[in-house]
Amino acid sequence: MAREYRKGAVSSMEVTDGEPVGVIAAQSIGEPGTQMILRSFHRAGVASVTVTSGLPRLVEIVDAKKKPATPFTYIYLDEHSRKSFEKSLEIAKKINEVKTKDVARSIVESFSTGKIKITLSKQMLEVNEITAGSISSKISKMEGADASVEDSTTITVSVHTRNLKEIRAFAVKIGNLTVNGIDGAGRAVVNQEPGTNEFYVISADSNIDKILEVPGVDRSRIYTNDILAMYKTFGIEAARNAIAHELDKTLKEQGISVDMRHLLLLADAMTFTGKIKNVGRHGLSGEKNSVFARAAYEETVKHLVNAAAFGEVDNMSGVTESVLVGKQLSLGTGNVELAIRKQDMAKIGKKEKK
Amino acid sequence: MAKATSGKCYVYVNDRRVGYVSDGQKLASEVRAARRNGMLPNELNITYFKKINAVHVNTDFGRVRKPYIIVEEGKSKLTPEIAEKVKNGEIDFNTLIRNGVIEYLDAEEEENALVAFEEKDINEDTTHLEVDLAGIFGITINLSPFPEHNSLARHAMLANFIKQSEGMYATNFNTRFDSRAYVLFYPQKPIVTTSSYNYTAISSHPSGQNFIVALSTYYGYNMKDAIVLNKAAVDRGLGRSMFYKTYGDEERRYPGGQKDEFKIPPPTAEGYLGEHAYANLSEDGIIEPETKVYEGDIIIGKVSPPRFLEENLGARGLEERIRDASTYLKSGENGTVDEVIITELTGATKLVKIRIRSLRVPENGDKFASRHGQKGVVALIVPQEDMPFSETGVVPDLLLNPHSIPTRLTFGHLLEEIGGKTGAISGKVIDGTAFDKKGEERLDEYGRVLEEHGFDRNGDEVFYDGITGMKFKAKIFNGIAYYNRLYHMVSNKMQVRSRGPVQILTHQPTEGKARQGGLKFGEMERDVIVGYGASLLLKERLLDQSDKATVYVCKNCGNLGYYDYIKKVKVCPMCGGNNLDAVEMSYAFKLLLDEIKSMHIFPSIKMKA
Repeated sequence: MAREYRKGAVSSMEVTDGEPVGVIAAQSIGEPGTQMILRSFHRAGVASVTVTSGLPRLVEIVDAKKKPATPFTYIYLDEHSRKSFEKSLEIAKKINEVKTKDVARSIVESFSTGKIKITLSKQMLEVNEITAGSISSKISKMEGADASVEDSTTITVSVHTRNLKEIRAFAVKIGNLTVNGIDGAGRAVVNQEPGTNEFYVISADSNIDKILEVPGVDRSRIYTNDILAMYKTFGIEAARNAIAHELDKTLKEQGISVDMRHLLLLADAMTFTGKIKNVGRHGLSGEKNSVFARAAYEETVKHLVNAAAFGEVDNMSGVTESVLVGKQLSLGTGNVELAIRKQDMAKIGKKEKK
Repeated sequence: MAKATSGKCYVYVNDRRVGYVSDGQKLASEVRAARRNGMLPNELNITYFKKINAVHVNTDFGRVRKPYIIVEEGKSKLTPEIAEKVKNGEIDFNTLIRNGVIEYLDAEEEENALVAFEEKDINEDTTHLEVDLAGIFGITINLSPFPEHNSLARHAMLANFIKQSEGMYATNFNTRFDSRAYVLFYPQKPIVTTSSYNYTAISSHPSGQNFIVALSTYYGYNMKDAIVLNKAAVDRGLGRSMFYKTYGDEERRYPGGQKDEFKIPPPTAEGYLGEHAYANLSEDGIIEPETKVYEGDIIIGKVSPPRFLEENLGARGLEERIRDASTYLKSGENGTVDEVIITELTGATKLVKIRIRSLRVPENGDKFASRHGQKGVVALIVPQEDMPFSETGVVPDLLLNPHSIPTRLTFGHLLEEIGGKTGAISGKVIDGTAFDKKGEERLDEYGRVLEEHGFDRNGDEVFYDGITGMKFKAKIFNGIAYYNRLYHMVSNKMQVRSRGPVQILTHQPTEGKARQGGLKFGEMERDVIVGYGASLLLKERLLDQSDKATVYVCKNCGNLGYYDYIKKVKVCPMCGGNNLDAVEMSYAFKLLLDEIKSMHIFPSIKMKA
């Protein structure tokens, strides 16, 4: 029976059966993407924090990179803190990640004595409200070394080993030790929402798991551009929304308008298995059903040999396979097939005669 | 680069650190003084970088350098007395360099210089003075008149067009055998010249003609970068050129004493094409001059020994087994045999060169460009009576779309047109060298001359429509601009294919003009058709009109089989069965299956019914 004809804006936008939405989405994102290449590198450097944008960012999202090149987190605060700059600053200080090398003037290792001398900057210590003692105790907790405070700006660490490489490695490790704030939270600064009197914190990294535990943080409004962090903390639905949102944001920044439905389709394709898959060899394209489709994309021999070893069957139903053998695609006009075959028609005719 | 510590100014010679001094600035000025009085070679350049407190000395090759007049204590070293001597030919340029009047700076040392454009701009900080302001552009860009009024992007394009223009590339072109040559019939010197025309041989070997150009549309025929030409002008020889192409062959010697031979191939030769194919050749197997030739015609008859020595020589001896190795005209080419030379290479190898000439009258699709990076393709050649004409009866040679000027910022084009018009009316050559005069001054000068001769000072004129005879409401700007004909011509590029040769390996159509190929229907084109959902159209492109093949597939084992026409039975060579079905598939897939099999993988085809 013919479907009932429905009028209205929504039904007129419905996609018909057999419409190749994936190809259309790919072209709709890809074509404006070609224009982006020229534009993205021509931004004059503003002194403030630079965030990856344009094509590099787009590639980052689609490739499902472990960590974005410039991660950041918007940390909104609860009603007690968001109106006060002082309170916001207090929270920012709790989050702000400070490493030994950030407060140290020099970290010098002596290979003959196996001692590492850390000279701290008095100014930096005051700014970050930490003391040599607290740093020393943090270092002492590390395995294989003892730290002692010489004076208010000097710490001596004696390493238990005489191995040159290990001493050097230990010095580097000390430099990267988080002595204050949240490990993996990055630099945190207070910002004001333009047009309102609400303050919030921006941090230059994405350890949102830990950030959420800080009292005073509004847990329902935190946002990061690190999609994997979103996935780990909030689950796949959040990751899907984050992908679509980040794509949309990146494209809009470049003055390119792509319909949200194309981006949502891409986000769905990347997340529908419950894990984030990238678009490429190790993700979407690499997990296609058809042997020929995979072999036509990358690593031809590997796929053919594996298919032979495991006796894979290719149904020859996708676009790539159909083009390869010269079959009509099962898309668009090729979506319909005869329901009854010729020989069966003859049988029906006979029955009617009887 | 190491961070300079206080007090130490490192010195690098050809990017290699050699030591340090306390005052780099002082070192640089001392070295410069020594260079100017001849103690150090003038090829040496020294730069002091204040920001990093380092001195770089360069003496190596490959640096771009430019001469400047030295200025010391606010005074140019090129005093009026010296300038007078140079003018009289008493002193030459090298003497000026040797005596510290002029020196060459490289790109790095220019960072330390403050160059004044003109003598009156010199102040106490000035270190150098430009020798000639037009020198900023360089010789090629200075071939364009008024380049200071054009956008830099157009200069880059101009530099390319100059290379591609047809002209009189050599006066002995008649005796040369260049593989490809284009010669313009009536090359002219430009009315608006520049200083570059004095310094180069281009004025004695011009590469263009002075066109009467009107800035007007013509029924949409000069949209975008299309141009409209006057038929009568074309018939009079406007933009007409000759295309010369040289074919050649030689009698090669092979190991075993065998040798090629120029002659009309005998009917016994392999690949003999029939008597009529060799009809144009004279007794020596080479075509006569002034013969008209068309594509595929044989111009050099040659026979070669067989490629492979076969065991079965048969009744005839080895000497008699020869093949046709004649040279024929490539597809899409035709013309007249211009000249034939027969000569010998070292080793007594006979060599033949044949030059074919063919006339290239401007036609739709040919490319022209002015000297302002304004290129265009002929879209229509209009009979003179249908062209717009001016009050005084002037009919333009070329109609340029006025939209092509403002967005490209090539105002030099307009200046050249007015200048050309002025020059033509007053019978003078106009100098359009960059920075010679200010734009307004030039406009005033040309406007005055034009008014003296009864023209509008801005170059506008009343025009009439050639078709209706009606006066145009607006005045039309016109003038004379120097146009180059570029060697990209449709007749050399046009190509078409409906049916034709296919590749042996894949059975797919060949690619490229020389092989009568088709245009590639690539992956992105495929995606477009897929996106539209026209799956049958796609199948037609990719299968029916490409490499369709009927293959027999064994229903039993899934291997490919064949049809035995003698026994009239289908055979599967794998299982020996006779139960096969004919399947339509792309030859490329059949090939893929074969190649997979060569990897010791057996792909079995299972059919639905």
